Amino acid sequence: MAGLFANARFIVAALALALIVGVAAPAGAQQRNSDNSVNPTASAVKEDQLLNALKSGPGGGDSISGRVSIPDQKSGNLIQPAGQAWRAFHEGALHWLAAIAILGMLAVLVVFYLMRGMVKLENGRSGRSIVRFNAFERGVHWMTAGCFIVLAITGLNISFGKSLLLPLFGADAFAAWSQWGKYAHNYLSFPFTLGVVLMLLMWVANNIPNGVDIAWIKRGGGIVGNDHPPAYKFNAGQKVIYWIVVLGGGCVATTGYFLMFPFYGTDIAGMQLAQVIHATVAVLFIAAMIAHIYIGSIGMDGFSRSRPAAA
Amino acid sequence: MARMKFLCDADRCIECNACVTACKNEHEVPWGINRRRVVTINDGKPGERSVSMACMHCTDAPCAAVCPVNCFYTTADAVVLHSKDLCIGCGYCFYACPFGAPQYPKVGNFGSRGKMDKCTFCAGGPEADHSKEEYEKYGSNRLAEGKLPLCAEMCSTKSLLAGDGDIIAQIYKERVVRRGYGSGAWGWKTAYKESIAT
Amino acid sequence: MLIKRTERQARRGMLAAALGTQSAGSIDRRTFLRRSGLAAGGLAAVGALPLTSVRKADAAGSAPGAGATIRKNICTHCSVGCTLIAEVSNGVWVGQEPGWDSPINRGSHCAKGAATRELVHGDRRLKYPMKLVNGQWTRISWDVAINEIGDKMMAIRAKSGADSVYWLGSAKFTNEGAYLNRKFAAFWGTNNSDHQARICHSTTVAGVANTWGYGAMTNSYTDIRNSKTIMIMGGNPAEAHPVSLQHVLEGKQSQRANMIVIDPRMTRTAAHATEYVRLRSGTDIPVIYGMLWHIFKNGGEDKQFIEQRVYGMDDIRKEVEKWTPEEVERVTGVPGAQLERVAKMFATEKPSTLIWCMGVTQHTVGTANVRALCILLLATGNVGAPGTGANIFRGHTNVQGATDLGLDIATLPLYYGLAEPAWRHWSRVWEVPYDWFVSRFDKITAADGKESNTMQVPGIPSTRWFDATLSEQKDVSQKDNIKAMMVFGHGGNTVTRMPKAQEGVEKLELLVVADPHPTTWAALAPARKDNTYLLPIATSYETAGSRTASNRAIQWGEQIVKPIFESKDDNEVMYLLAKKLGFADTMFKNIKVENNVPSPEDILRESNRGGWSTGYCGQSPERLKTHMANQKDFDMLTQKAASGPNTGDYYGLPWPCWGTPEYKHPGTPLLYNTNLSVKEGGGTFRARFGVEREETLADGSKRKVSLLGNGYYSKDSEIKDGYPEFTLGVLKKLGWDKDLTEAEMAVINKINPTTPDAVSWAIDLSGGIQRVAIEHGCVPYGNGKARANAFGLPDAIPTHREPIYTPRPELVAKYPTLPNRREFRMPNVGFDVQKAAAEKGVAKQFPLILTSGRLVEYEGGGEETRSNKWLAELQQDMFIEINPGDASERGIKDGQWVWVTGAEHQSKARMKALVTERVGKGVTWCPFHFAGWFQGVDQRGNYPKGADPIVLGESVNTLTTYGFDPVTGMQEPKATLCQVRAA
Repeated sequence: MAGLFANARFIVAALALALIVGVAAPAGAQQRNSDNSVNPTASAVKEDQLLNALKSGPGGGDSISGRVSIPDQKSGNLIQPAGQAWRAFHEGALHWLAAIAILGMLAVLVVFYLMRGMVKLENGRSGRSIVRFNAFERGVHWMTAGCFIVLAITGLNISFGKSLLLPLFGADAFAAWSQWGKYAHNYLSFPFTLGVVLMLLMWVANNIPNGVDIAWIKRGGGIVGNDHPPAYKFNAGQKVIYWIVVLGGGCVATTGYFLMFPFYGTDIAGMQLAQVIHATVAVLFIAAMIAHIYIGSIGMDGFSRSRPAAA
Repeated sequence: MARMKFLCDADRCIECNACVTACKNEHEVPWGINRRRVVTINDGKPGERSVSMACMHCTDAPCAAVCPVNCFYTTADAVVLHSKDLCIGCGYCFYACPFGAPQYPKVGNFGSRGKMDKCTFCAGGPEADHSKEEYEKYGSNRLAEGKLPLCAEMCSTKSLLAGDGDIIAQIYKERVVRRGYGSGAWGWKTAYKESIAT
Repeated sequence: MLIKRTERQARRGMLAAALGTQSAGSIDRRTFLRRSGLAAGGLAAVGALPLTSVRKADAAGSAPGAGATIRKNICTHCSVGCTLIAEVSNGVWVGQEPGWDSPINRGSHCAKGAATRELVHGDRRLKYPMKLVNGQWTRISWDVAINEIGDKMMAIRAKSGADSVYWLGSAKFTNEGAYLNRKFAAFWGTNNSDHQARICHSTTVAGVANTWGYGAMTNSYTDIRNSKTIMIMGGNPAEAHPVSLQHVLEGKQSQRANMIVIDPRMTRTAAHATEYVRLRSGTDIPVIYGMLWHIFKNGGEDKQFIEQRVYGMDDIRKEVEKWTPEEVERVTGVPGAQLERVAKMFATEKPSTLIWCMGVTQHTVGTANVRALCILLLATGNVGAPGTGANIFRGHTNVQGATDLGLDIATLPLYYGLAEPAWRHWSRVWEVPYDWFVSRFDKITAADGKESNTMQVPGIPSTRWFDATLSEQKDVSQKDNIKAMMVFGHGGNTVTRMPKAQEGVEKLELLVVADPHPTTWAALAPARKDNTYLLPIATSYETAGSRTASNRAIQWGEQIVKPIFESKDDNEVMYLLAKKLGFADTMFKNIKVENNVPSPEDILRESNRGGWSTGYCGQSPERLKTHMANQKDFDMLTQKAASGPNTGDYYGLPWPCWGTPEYKHPGTPLLYNTNLSVKEGGGTFRARFGVEREETLADGSKRKVSLLGNGYYSKDSEIKDGYPEFTLGVLKKLGWDKDLTEAEMAVINKINPTTPDAVSWAIDLSGGIQRVAIEHGCVPYGNGKARANAFGLPDAIPTHREPIYTPRPELVAKYPTLPNRREFRMPNVGFDVQKAAAEKGVAKQFPLILTSGRLVEYEGGGEETRSNKWLAELQQDMFIEINPGDASERGIKDGQWVWVTGAEHQSKARMKALVTERVGKGVTWCPFHFAGWFQGVDQRGNYPKGADPIVLGESVNTLTTYGFDPVTGMQEPKATLCQVRAA
């Protein structure tokens, strides 16, 4: 769990940094002669000094940096210890988080299914199906969902593939698969993002939380008691999923694009932060979507026939 | 086996950039990729020091730890190398690297990353030593010729040292004792978890 | 992504050869330590450490077959003289390796040296001869080019005279190229022959030679390691001569030497100093006098040294008295206490050396500055011993050599001057009748109506070629204005006042640029549509020959590869031109020419036969080649070979290397070193200024004062006191003439059949007089005093004079520049310009000091280095350094585009701001390597297609202003004024 702490510190530092504009120049203790002139050799900066200044908090800057003549200004970062913290997050905390969120969610669902089985329709089918979503809406949903699944798998592959798949595939095959995975991840991000945006526009009106949702939540969406909790077009549970998709999707998309287009509008610290947010939100997002899939499939009767009869 | 390291004696580095162009010359590194660079801290102020920096070939290298495809490997001389065949250009090594060593050729219009390129300690890559493939992907392999990295060999003031860590540490230590000051073995604490006591 | 050069494969074959007897793939301790950068002295300390083992070479992977050939040449980018090791395979330069054996650079390079290979194979080179046809660059053949150029030159000569053609040569010539170029000008019939030394160290040469005899670095780069106090003034060797810093920092380390940097700018060099002194640009003399004030006051001067070896120090004392600490601080801005400390350090923690560069030389008071520095050295007794001396760092591979070999408006090769005896000497060497030369020069009528010619009249300095083109004819003291520029390897953006240069280029009747690159000359003036020729010249790396480093050591460079594309080397082009002009047979009568290429060995032998005055006579091509082949035998610190075929020689036979090559003089590593016998490289100050001088005392009475050494002499000298230069007559007086051989006497008698006694050591073609003098322990040039008072110069006692455009106009009345005068065939109206500027309040309109300098990545005008992709990537924009205070007042941010305006010609330039504390408040600094933009206009389209440099930018010289040193015509790019505003 030490990784988690390191990670927490990293995130706090990174956030604080994102707010601080400008680089605090490491002020070397200049040794002045009696006549106020300077001995450049005696007052030379020392690495120890600068590293200690970094440790003293975000005020010391996030890296030891200086001037370079090449246009690539990021190369002016000489030493950035934040990379170590990022590594700790990526190789430590993230693993824990993913394990807890995704495996935890799977475990919960398995237990739930074993306890409750498939939730049946109260009175069976009416024989009549209602068009809740038109073809466009359904198309958007499935485009987004399809992209999400590929993004999730390729995303998980980037973080965990080397532990889970590499031993099975071998280095070359795994690298080839990961390379294609990276392309898929990058390119499918565009339709996914489009889907999230469309969902936001299409359904936002029906997803504003209201009083009815409180009642729905009080009754646990029907799990508590045996009656049907009230809801408009979307019940509170669906609204939660909606907002997870819109906000979570928006978040992973934004951070993802920062990573995809390096150094556009951000720097190394910003990219580390973006990756931390991207990975954290993605893992939680995946966990939530597993639940969504569960409810929409084996968790709830009627899923398979929720489509309208062929027109 | 020797434990290869770099050491930049900043009290001698004058930002002459010989290390930078020697590297370009030896490996035909294209425009925009800087396997080595010189950073000047406190530019123009008393206390100014310049440090030549490239991949430090870390002990427990962060790049290797975070690489999603495990494309890094460490040679018997403790040189950290990678396989461009395996690299997928994800950029993770750049996030983790304390020294900004990984470089990515820009592919496409938005600066997407190609396969990572970095200092090889003039030790080539996984291909057969001195093969055409090795040269094309990683540049020349001086170590296998019994030579050290050209950047250090050509350093104008013998500031940049490359070679067996024990020996270059000894050289540095001796210099500091001789002249009575030293701004530190830049990057050693971070890369090798050690400092040179003087 | 990495580009494969197929030839690379082959060079792997050299592995086995390189490792020699060692087991393949491993390196021995010595090699390893050397490669790790450890000095030999440190070997013992690491004796206990385990040997390094390196990964075994994969035998199967090594490419077998033809190994690459190793060729050695000398890096051209400064005067340190770094050995370049080139690996050549199938005529292609495939790799560079460190030259470990060089006792100068020990394998090291700077950015430029390490990127040299690209200069030869770079695709931005000029590939074939071209000419402008109605504004379009058109490819032509060499034959057409030479014919048309020759015809046009002859037409100009017929109409405007020989002096209308200006020969601008290059510090990147080999010695042979430089010598040929000067000889060519003599055969053409003009003294308008110049090169880059005019704008870098002409004032050094004049100042130093006028002080103690020779115009060169007294000691050497490696000797700086012996110093206890190293003072660097107006120089930034960390960028301009990076490998020299190896020796400076080693000295600082091993001797714990003081390192004092005096500069308006906190440079990369200053960052390593133990004392950084910020002065106002152009106030070097007050700073030096400020130091001397303390030294004299505290009795810190070396009284014995002054008594024995210096003339006129009392005159200096009088001048120094005026420079009280208060006045010095008022004028220079240097804190008094700091200057006192520095003065004490320099005078007491000896040996002290003084290193200077263009911050000192490039001023209207350049020569006086140099003289002041020499006087500081003399006053403290810091000349003529290890660790001391004037270590003058020059700027190109062979700027010392090109200066020595006479690419100068005021002398024939090797400082013989222009007087009749000099011409007669070279006529004898060249075996051409003196009268023939007389016939080649333009006739002029002097003011008194006397008929003469321009043969003995110094030419026009390169700093003023365009003034001589644009001025009214009556203002130019020669038959006609400059009508043609023959530019061999010289940038077009290195001279101040570029708006005038642009007009000058437009007005020329003929412009010939012979260079590996088109250079600024080709692009500056788009209004020029015709009569412009570009000749592709091989780089120095494609030419064999000798080069003289700053420390006077001469190194032989091999041709690394044959000239690429259609390039030819300078020597061949000069031969072709001479052939066209009809004097090739005479000019090359003693030089073998094969396929139009003159033999560099023969050229050197010819200059050896005439180079007695400077001791350029002993360095035969054979001796130099043996030195290059056996570099490893030479000790780095002493430069002396302890073993091998050159045992006893100093590396590169630093001049003076007396006598014939067969005399085997070892060269002179330190000038004026009395601790060695002359035969071993010792010497005294040169008795160059006569034997005595008549002084007028305060009461009007006169007395004669000796200018010869007073009770000092070099080791083993049979004359234990000062003595004049040697002639046959002097030998006779001493009874030493009997030591001359019959053959030597015959030569002497032939030189001057009527009065052989007048034949001196410098014109005795037999070398006999030198030999005999040296055998008796004496220096051929005599044993004289150095001159603190250099009578004959405009400011015999160095005098502070404010820059023409000074930020302190209130000081102009007290410290005005010299009155208007005529010099070098042109008027110099600096006084009027300064007065007008002060009266008009120019300093209010342009409140910032503008000074300029060098970047490590580029060199000179920069066309060559800006065309090198490995270097160009590192500096992609022209910039101006500006202090954060000045920047914020103007709302300027780091990296932002700004307009810089200059004080003359309404000049303006667009560049980036670099906001930094390197420069103090009120000071700006620009690098001088950029060109290709002019006053905001991108001129890329003016270059021939594909030969434009990768990086272009505004030239700082667009903004620089009027002002010339009276002794050499040096320009003033280091202290002028400008204004900066956000673009």
